[in-house]
Amino acid sequence: MNYMPGTASLIQDIDKKHLVLLRDGRTLIGFLRSIDQFANLVLHQTVERIHVGKKYGDIPRGIFVVRGENVVLLGEIDLEKESDTPLQQVSIEEILEEQRVELQAKQESEKLKVQALKERGLSVPRADTLDEY
Amino acid sequence: ASRADDDWQEAHERLAELEDKAVAKGDGGGEEQDLLGDPEDALAERLTRLVIDSELEDPAIMRAVQTRGPVQHPGGLNSSIWDSSAVLQRIRGPLLAQEMPSVSVLDYALPQRPPQPREEERDPSERALPRRSSSPVIGSPPVRAVPIGTPPKQPAGPNFTQQILCPKPVHIRAPMQQRYPAPYGDRMSPNQLCNVPNSSLLGHPFPPSVSPVLTHLQRAQLLGGAQAGRMSPSQFARVSGLVGSPLPSVNPKLLQGRVRQMMPPASGFRAFFGAPPAPPPPPSQPQHPPGPGPHLQSLRPQPQIFRPDTTHLHPQHRRLLHQRQQQNRNQHRSLNGSVGDRGGHRSSHQEQMRKDPYANLMLQREKDWVSKIQMMQLQSTDPYLDDYYYQNYFQKLEKLSAAEEVQGDGPKKERTKLITPQVAKLEHTYKPVQFEGSLGKLTVSSVNNPRKMIDAVVTSRGEDDETKEKQVRDKRRQTLVTIEKTYSLLLDVEDYERRYLLSLEGERPALMGDRKQKICEMYDNLRGKVPGHERPSDDHFMQIMCIRKGKRLVARILPFLSPEQAADVLLATARNLPFLIKKDAQDEVLPCLLRPFSHVLYHLPLGTVTTLVQQLTNLPQSGAANPHLAAVLQNKFGLSLLFLVLSRGEELQSSEANTELIQDNPWTELMLLATRELLRIPQAALAKPVSTPSNLLSLFSRYVDQQKLNLLETKL
Repeated sequence: MNYMPGTASLIQDIDKKHLVLLRDGRTLIGFLRSIDQFANLVLHQTVERIHVGKKYGDIPRGIFVVRGENVVLLGEIDLEKESDTPLQQVSIEEILEEQRVELQAKQESEKLKVQALKERGLSVPRADTLDEY
Repeated sequence: ASRADDDWQEAHERLAELEDKAVAKGDGGGEEQDLLGDPEDALAERLTRLVIDSELEDPAIMRAVQTRGPVQHPGGLNSSIWDSSAVLQRIRGPLLAQEMPSVSVLDYALPQRPPQPREEERDPSERALPRRSSSPVIGSPPVRAVPIGTPPKQPAGPNFTQQILCPKPVHIRAPMQQRYPAPYGDRMSPNQLCNVPNSSLLGHPFPPSVSPVLTHLQRAQLLGGAQAGRMSPSQFARVSGLVGSPLPSVNPKLLQGRVRQMMPPASGFRAFFGAPPAPPPPPSQPQHPPGPGPHLQSLRPQPQIFRPDTTHLHPQHRRLLHQRQQQNRNQHRSLNGSVGDRGGHRSSHQEQMRKDPYANLMLQREKDWVSKIQMMQLQSTDPYLDDYYYQNYFQKLEKLSAAEEVQGDGPKKERTKLITPQVAKLEHTYKPVQFEGSLGKLTVSSVNNPRKMIDAVVTSRGEDDETKEKQVRDKRRQTLVTIEKTYSLLLDVEDYERRYLLSLEGERPALMGDRKQKICEMYDNLRGKVPGHERPSDDHFMQIMCIRKGKRLVARILPFLSPEQAADVLLATARNLPFLIKKDAQDEVLPCLLRPFSHVLYHLPLGTVTTLVQQLTNLPQSGAANPHLAAVLQNKFGLSLLFLVLSRGEELQSSEANTELIQDNPWTELMLLATRELLRIPQAALAKPVSTPSNLLSLFSRYVDQQKLNLLETKL
């Protein structure tokens, strides 16, 4: 039974391994077990994957129920190609450390940028104050 | 066996500590692990107790009993949660706990018998086969409310003694090895337990008495034999294959008086049968001997590869295993009950899918429910309005395939198209809800009848209060609103063609009138309504043209305007081109106007063209500097437009038979001036035009001498 051809329906994706990107930036990988009309998802054997540079680390999370509005995108993982990645898997401690370092570096550079702009009398426009059409 | 479990648990605990939030330790997985160790041992004990010596006449079986090794955990349990064995571990427990198989098929067939809850868990081999509708002979299997994992309610022992001969031609499910998923590395859906693999039995050529039956012993043997390592289904087939060899020693009694295996009943997981996939080939069992021969005949060794590890299997069992194996490979199976991926997967992928014990947690009924909701959302009274892009896309696809077909490629494969229900437009008049027996009308606030929540008063400030900036902003906003309104009109007008085709004859004039009126409105919007018939100010138009969307709007409207109106627009643009160019510096949208402009040009008479050139170049002009022309020439759009206009003029000129016109033609004068200007401007300042019309050179050749012509040529 071909469920709703020509549409984006998740029914065909059930029981397959998926990668889900959430609005808060997290990447979850799990077997999609159940859905509903809002695209709320039930993920089974979920793993949260943190990527930093060329490395990644997996944190096993168990079962996830994700509210549909928080999903940015999701896609099926080809199980055969899954291991075919140039990325290197590292331990969780290591990846968390890397993430922390990266975040710090970003904050530093952001601070410097704002400082530099301030010195020149400029300011970074905030998105909500833009009036241009 | 629990050593591996402990490691896993420790590892998990360590991980949990890493995070700040409390993680439920082990998710109960560790506990599960511990539980699992025990049932296996219990099973072994029970099985040995059940062995009855008289039945052990098969030397193969005897051999197997002795060689049964100790119970081991299957293979390297690593802590990866993707590892199938880890999952298997969790489900093996409940599965193996109910080891007693011996419920007769009549139990199943006759409603009086209480259903045996254990059966459902004990037949993982069911999982190997596609979900099918129930066999017509047997009837619909009873729905079991007891889910997998429920411990058995009855002790195993007594059932063994229920030996019921089956006089009716009831097909019995072959108890296959796959009923024990764990040892064989199989991951099978709980739901598949219920999948009666009737295919193997429909049209089973054997009389029921010959149905393959697996004794407890045999199962135990298999279990034991397989404990040594994970066996894949392919190994299974090999296992089963060998049973064929010790043929003569098979005791017919083994087959007949055997405790029947019950057909796996529906468990709670299988609330109802989904529509079976388009009927897979009914018993596609190449191994079946033709015709219902006596059971001995059926035990004839199959032309299979010699399988050393199946010596202890009943020959019938082996064959059926192999058949089932083949079936699984041949048939399409989908865990979801949908046939979406028919034929698209390799068998390894299919097997992998088959091994998923958590598959089909979402029932077919639930999937249908979700899909029903999604379909309801697609109901529309006007699909072109609600689902414009989808409709257009599929129209394009169809046109494409039709075109391809015309080329003689033959009928292309049908693209399954979603047929959305067409709902007639119904006028719903909203009637506020009324309560009976109430005095007066109670107002209930709802989405159709909203109540005012906030007393927001709009106060507009006086003119003098406003700053210049605010005025500018307001004006801009007004222009934006005008653009939006005009856009709606435009979309309507563009749609008229389609509506025209769909409408009835009588309605068509009305449609045409409508359309004309809308076009006029659009034009008025563009140019700004002025009470008099004069249009003195380009201001309104300029405002629109300063906005990116406005330019695109003009480009789209132009084809619908009458020639005079279009010319008007063109002239206005040309007149103010430097200003527009300056404003367009960031957006660079002006070139989108070129194409509609060129279309308009083709319909313009020479007089208009002349005026146009005049406007564009701002000639004749006194004074040496001509910033207007300079700006035009330095801009891509400007230059391209100029070229277009010039080329059109040249066309008209050359086609003009009357030579008198050439003399005092304002065109000629203009051209003289223009060429002079062109010569003057340094080449570097010239922009790159979108396209250079070919007749420009001939144009210029009329007015200048050869030397200058060469110069011009190089510049262009």
